[in-house]
Amino acid sequence: MQALTILLDGISYGMVLFIISVGLTVTMGLMRVVNLAHGAFAMIGGYIATVLVLQAGVPFLLSALIAAVVAGALGGLAELTVYRPLYRKGELPQVLLTIGLCFVVIAGLTLFVGATPLPAIVPASLDRMVDIGFRSYPAYRLFLIVVGAVLAFIVWLIVERSLFGARLRAAVDDPQMARAVGMNVNRMFTVTFIGGCALAGFGGAIGAGVLPLEPFYALRYLVYFLIVVAVGGMGSFRGSLVAALAIGIVDTAGRYIVPQFGGFLLYVLVFGLLLWRPNGLLPPKSVA
Amino acid sequence: MTNQQQATTQQQILAPAAMSRPFSPAMLWHLLPWVIALIFFFVGDGYHSLGTNILVMILFALSLDLALGYAGIITLGHAAFFGAGAYAAGIFAIHFNADPVLGLLAATAIAGLLGLLTGMLILHTRGETLLMLTLAIAAIFYEIANHARWLTGGDDGLSGIRVTPVFGLFRFDLWGKTAFLYALSVLFIWFIIAALVVRSPFGRSLDGIRQNTKRMRAIGTPVWWRLVAMYSLSAAMAGSAGALTAQSTRLVGLSTLELLTSGIVAVMLVLGGERRLYGAFIGAAIYVVVQDFAGSISPFIWMFVIGFLLIIIVLFFEGGLMGIIDSVVAKLKGKADASGQTGKRT
Amino acid sequence: MKRRLIASAAAALITLSTAAYADVVKFGIIAPFSGPFAVWGKQFKDSVEAFQKLNGKSVNGHEIQIIWRDEGAGDASKSRQFAEELILREKVNVLGGFALTPDALAVSEVISESKTPTIILNAATSIVTRKSPYFLRVSMTVAQYVSPLGGWAVQNGIKSIYTMVSDYAPGIDAQDEFLSGFEKAGGKVLGKDRVPLNVTDFAPYMERALQSKADGLFIFAPAGAPSVAMVREFERRGLKAAGMKLLGTGEMQEIFLPSFGDSILGAISSTHYTESNQRPENIAFRKALTEVAGKDAVPDMASIAVWDALGLVYETVKALGPKFTGDQAIDFMKSKTINSPRGPISWDPKERDIIQNVYIREVKKVDGKLINVDLATYEKVRDPWKDNHPDAK
Repeated sequence: MQALTILLDGISYGMVLFIISVGLTVTMGLMRVVNLAHGAFAMIGGYIATVLVLQAGVPFLLSALIAAVVAGALGGLAELTVYRPLYRKGELPQVLLTIGLCFVVIAGLTLFVGATPLPAIVPASLDRMVDIGFRSYPAYRLFLIVVGAVLAFIVWLIVERSLFGARLRAAVDDPQMARAVGMNVNRMFTVTFIGGCALAGFGGAIGAGVLPLEPFYALRYLVYFLIVVAVGGMGSFRGSLVAALAIGIVDTAGRYIVPQFGGFLLYVLVFGLLLWRPNGLLPPKSVA
Repeated sequence: MTNQQQATTQQQILAPAAMSRPFSPAMLWHLLPWVIALIFFFVGDGYHSLGTNILVMILFALSLDLALGYAGIITLGHAAFFGAGAYAAGIFAIHFNADPVLGLLAATAIAGLLGLLTGMLILHTRGETLLMLTLAIAAIFYEIANHARWLTGGDDGLSGIRVTPVFGLFRFDLWGKTAFLYALSVLFIWFIIAALVVRSPFGRSLDGIRQNTKRMRAIGTPVWWRLVAMYSLSAAMAGSAGALTAQSTRLVGLSTLELLTSGIVAVMLVLGGERRLYGAFIGAAIYVVVQDFAGSISPFIWMFVIGFLLIIIVLFFEGGLMGIIDSVVAKLKGKADASGQTGKRT
Repeated sequence: MKRRLIASAAAALITLSTAAYADVVKFGIIAPFSGPFAVWGKQFKDSVEAFQKLNGKSVNGHEIQIIWRDEGAGDASKSRQFAEELILREKVNVLGGFALTPDALAVSEVISESKTPTIILNAATSIVTRKSPYFLRVSMTVAQYVSPLGGWAVQNGIKSIYTMVSDYAPGIDAQDEFLSGFEKAGGKVLGKDRVPLNVTDFAPYMERALQSKADGLFIFAPAGAPSVAMVREFERRGLKAAGMKLLGTGEMQEIFLPSFGDSILGAISSTHYTESNQRPENIAFRKALTEVAGKDAVPDMASIAVWDALGLVYETVKALGPKFTGDQAIDFMKSKTINSPRGPISWDPKERDIIQNVYIREVKKVDGKLINVDLATYEKVRDPWKDNHPDAK
């Protein structure tokens, strides 16, 4: 029974990582941009949702959706202005510019919202225990699992079952060929970037109960998002789901069973895994 | 290869030519940073610790320039070696010998060795995977230092470091004058080594590896070994920088191993301009001074300033501040001397 | 670069010439304004403005000037560098600040050599004041404000405990001090967890605590994101519903209570300052603070520390004039007794560490606002660590 609890904890944690990171796998896999500012979009989403709930009394889910829309719009704006010139540059300028973006967002939020961590906006209906047969379990965690699963399904539908998805996969696998056959890869970049940032913003908002919001959010959890992408295989959607869940479960189980080594375990495993499979668990064809 | 890259390569081939010429007035420019540092030594009372901090960060940024700039090893984990050097120097001083030069050498050797070992493991990968591996290494080092509280002091930091006079003659005074000169000397030695290395055939081959690994491999260059060699050298240098900070402040904290430290040193390098050696000088100096100034005027804004500066530099001034200086110099030269030379470049 | 140098040389000249007017008393404060601990700096600054609004910016015509330095990333070497700069360049008369213990330890050599009176505004490890005779603490030590809690818990029906502390020196100090009081009073310890500082998801730890079925859970985490996440998970995982009492310290400061929501109701904490206490000093303090920092401004440990530090500096200038040596200032300050908004405070003349009341409080909702309400007061609490380790250096 205890194992089942750990599993549920791990999956719900992993789902938050998945929702936030799946957009990052697109930027890093499709556009080949080392985007260290991805966490900043999740943070912006979380801040917007929190302000909406607390100041304007907007319902939780609605404010998370608005946060997603705003984060997506800001993402689109950023893609058109600062990211586009980056595609032609090396990894270092990409790292630097996106760190710069992070700094600006962190400084801005500290200035306008303050340096204290934000209050939780999980509504009372979720912030309670429900009976799941063998024990009572936090409703919020179940909610995260359900939302994560629904979003994973939607992403799967778009990527694997739509024309847009087919093009997207083609562009990930062979960008030059995609261009050659006349696809508007630039527009595809913009659209997917908006989608990725919207998901991140949504994840930042609904996941705030697991990853608390504060100005350093963008850098504090960045490593986790990057690990999801690298372990899953850059540009692989299935990979990022598998990786996010695996990381959630391993991290949780590690802390539960051997709390004194909890911090180590994840990094050592990631290190070993990347040495063994440098392209991640499920890399897309272009790099496999 | 883009035109820009080709242009860079050509300039780089020109640069050493300018260096190996017999004396020319343009070569006097090379004295500038050292002269400024010495003037600062005499007039900078109260700012010597700041100065030492700048020198340490220059050395750290220079080490990153070797790995990242010249060898093209994309890393976000260079703090691992900086921190390893700092802890090694601190622990060496506390448990073995308080002589600063011995401590510096020990720290340098240990950091270099760690660079060699980790480099051998990770340098067959590239791009984002390599980036993640360097991140993971720094994170593992951080966790080790955090857990080994009996050795490192954990979160409270390592304190109680004692340093005997340099060569038994020059005491580390309270206001950091000795530390400043000591750091300056170490930086000078490393700068000479770095300048020699990047101009050697070995350094040139790394230039080739960075630009076209496959071709270099095809002509029989042992790519992996060359990368490992440069990475270890860079790690040793970062370790020296860490040792300097440990000895000049007599403190080592976990922040020396943080992701943010790795990020900041990369920021300094790009701010100044990579693959230029002097870029590290300008970038580190400006970053530390801006942080210090902005910090004393309105502490809330320095992150803003640095963030914007980074975005603008990356978008509009590819070569960093040194790149701007170069193009201004080139324009002035173009007017005065049609043949044009890149004397100020390294 | 040359121009920059000339500019800074000119700036240095200007500083020197202003320093010649000796009736400016300079108080240099090194604190984090950026980075993960930025909230400290903001609280310091608001409180200073409030103090100067209430008490004026000068004493007997001598201007009291505050000079800020941002030690942002938790990098202790910066702390030392700023201390040197403030002492040598700015010629500060009094130094202060230090959010974290390493920041304070880093300046001990410098202030000893320059004989600069230095007021610790937070750094809470007991040993710090023994590192230099010019240190004086106005904040607290971890051992001090935790010490009464263990005994209180047993007396109030919490017979068994689980502890969960962040894995760093203050966390371990807090755990040890709490458990020593708890076990002395006959309580039973069912488990001890140390949580790494970078942990964000406390679910597995809370699950372990829940399974222990202890009467209470004692926590200690850096105030901010970690403590907020910890307490939220306590509620969400049903530990509270299972009847477990939450015991803590700085986590339950009033400023953080809105971050938890109503789930925090009933939590017990022990600290040296109850933000909503009705002493006239405290009412005046909070009024001044809301006037400068907005109606929602809430004071915390940082605000109260810098408030009392300024009180000390003003008193010193009043008694000794604008010119005093480090020894005179420290001797004067440590002999004072101040009616602080937190209650009466004084200093142990030998250790230069603060002696103050410690309050056991419970979070309650009063007029729709979450506040701490005192349950018990322990008067004139000394730092127990110092008494238990008379010779530690």
